[in-house]
Amino acid sequence: MDTIIRVQDLSKTFTTKERKKGQKKRKRVVEALKDVNLEVFAGENFGLLGPNGAGKTTLIKCLTTLLLPTTGTAWVNGYNIEKEEDMVRASLGCMLMGDRGLYWKLTGRENLDYFGALYHVPRDVRAKRIEYLIDLLKLEEFAHRTVETYSSGQKMLLAFAKALVNDAPILFFDEPTVTMDVPTARELRRIVRALNLEEGKTIVYTTHLMHEAEELCARVAIIDRGEIIALGTPNELKASLVREDVVKMEGLLPASVVGKIRAIPGVREVSVQAAPDGRASLAVTCANSRHLLPRIIEAATGNGASIEYIKPQDVTLEDVFLTKTGRSLAEDTREVVKEVARGGGRG
Amino acid sequence: MAAAVVSRGFGLGRPGWKAKRDVVRTVFLARIKIITRYKGAIFMEALLPIVFAAMPVLLGTTVAGANAGAVFEERVGTSNFRLYMLIGAATFTVVSLMLWLIGYWVRREQETGTLESLYLAPARRIYVLAGVTSYAFVRAMIAFLIAILLGSVVFQVNPFEQGMGLAIVFLAIGFLPLWGLAFMFGAFIMKIKEADAVIQVLQWVLSFLMGVFYPLTLLPVYLQTVVKLFPPTVMTDGVRASLLGINFLYNSAFASLAVLFAMALVVPLLGYKVFESTERRLRRKEGVGHY
Repeated sequence: MDTIIRVQDLSKTFTTKERKKGQKKRKRVVEALKDVNLEVFAGENFGLLGPNGAGKTTLIKCLTTLLLPTTGTAWVNGYNIEKEEDMVRASLGCMLMGDRGLYWKLTGRENLDYFGALYHVPRDVRAKRIEYLIDLLKLEEFAHRTVETYSSGQKMLLAFAKALVNDAPILFFDEPTVTMDVPTARELRRIVRALNLEEGKTIVYTTHLMHEAEELCARVAIIDRGEIIALGTPNELKASLVREDVVKMEGLLPASVVGKIRAIPGVREVSVQAAPDGRASLAVTCANSRHLLPRIIEAATGNGASIEYIKPQDVTLEDVFLTKTGRSLAEDTREVVKEVARGGGRG
Repeated sequence: MAAAVVSRGFGLGRPGWKAKRDVVRTVFLARIKIITRYKGAIFMEALLPIVFAAMPVLLGTTVAGANAGAVFEERVGTSNFRLYMLIGAATFTVVSLMLWLIGYWVRREQETGTLESLYLAPARRIYVLAGVTSYAFVRAMIAFLIAILLGSVVFQVNPFEQGMGLAIVFLAIGFLPLWGLAFMFGAFIMKIKEADAVIQVLQWVLSFLMGVFYPLTLLPVYLQTVVKLFPPTVMTDGVRASLLGINFLYNSAFASLAVLFAMALVVPLLGYKVFESTERRLRRKEGVGHY
């Protein structure tokens, strides 16, 4: 497969000032990206997954030329992000700031026309493209109104349409569904999938929602503290985990069942919680729940158990992250590498 | 169109002149649409110079009474102090509006996130800025003309007695270095991320440097040398000297025009360079959209 985005030893360091009451002003050096190396293939739907502060947005901002890297470089659509900025920008459609980045005193249609012109889309092509997008994203009802009258979801849809106005070969979406209601988010994911599968667009999709990444992305890079800590298909990443699965089972479970299940090779532990009405709840810890589930069911039902509920707990990308970092995706992981006190401590 | 089309898609990485012109036109029209959706904004700002000029006119009349014209003529070379103040206030409004519109535009775009959207697009900043400054020019000209026309009725003066053509030439050439100053001002606002306080302070500094309500000959010689190098001062003086038939800052209309023309060649380029280098520095640090 052809590489369409290549990132080479890319690092980005920020310096910020922190002012805490009663303390000296401190200069903080934050290493947002550390020697990132990455390849995205043409026509791929690529996911960037990581908690807040992991470096996802910084990486996207570098690739879209909004930020210049401190060291290292990258090529997008064959163009260098520092030397051929205009060609990089013309190769991209971006939705990076949610519903920000729209002119509230212009209508939806006027916003699309404005940004179409900035992407040098010829006027006649632009007019047709705008009508196509209004139809595709069902914006007809509100496209003639000024953006200030839109709901959050409508603004997000317009921002999404804006990313498609130049019909670019590469699309960057930074948490596009974040303020959308469930049906709109589902519809948007359907369109993202269609853009990838039917129109062959290369998509870089950042999210902290595992189910989105699993549903949409062919490959996923998990980023943490500015480093890529895992890269592969969602199934490869999940399969790479050496972890214990847990099968939850509830029902009328005779005492002998516990021993029979314990005797199955691969089962590590069975914990029992008995209820006063004679029912019990079992948690079976084993090496591979998918593989052992039929034998566990057979051992239970073959020994007089009546199973009312059974559920193997699946490995998720959250588990992958948890295993690799020891932290949850919900944590903020911005890393301060240096703190320098400055000034006279006036607070 | 002679331009490099990105491997797929409609956008052009290396646009031809039509696409560049389209950027300027679209940005200009969008700004006009936005301002016209704030009812009465353009008309109200045109009233400001009249109020602004009324204050020194009334003060002068209070201090000098019936001799106000004669005292003024002794120092300035014309007894028409009302028109002098009106032209000063109107040209000051033009300068102030140009700087304010560009500076505030940068800051507003930073706050609303549209500045990052602009930087994501391949359109060169020079064409976007050309669209915005063209809009600022039109808006400033509307304010100037309404102020002069309405002010001439209020102050009972006739600005059309002499030198209107020459005044327009001064105004037109004076806009070019003003663009350059506006670029520098925009870069400064983009860097410090604050517009209001800077604009408030700058208004008064500008009015002082431009000699809006007084002849520059009243200033100490060293300060006269400084203000002579300030393009809005030369523009204001040129417009006023043309319409009132008084002395030009550089002694003749030709000399003043030559200086202003030289400024028109240098300052916009300098301003754009400053804007570009500020923008690049910011992209090395936290990014242009950081607010």
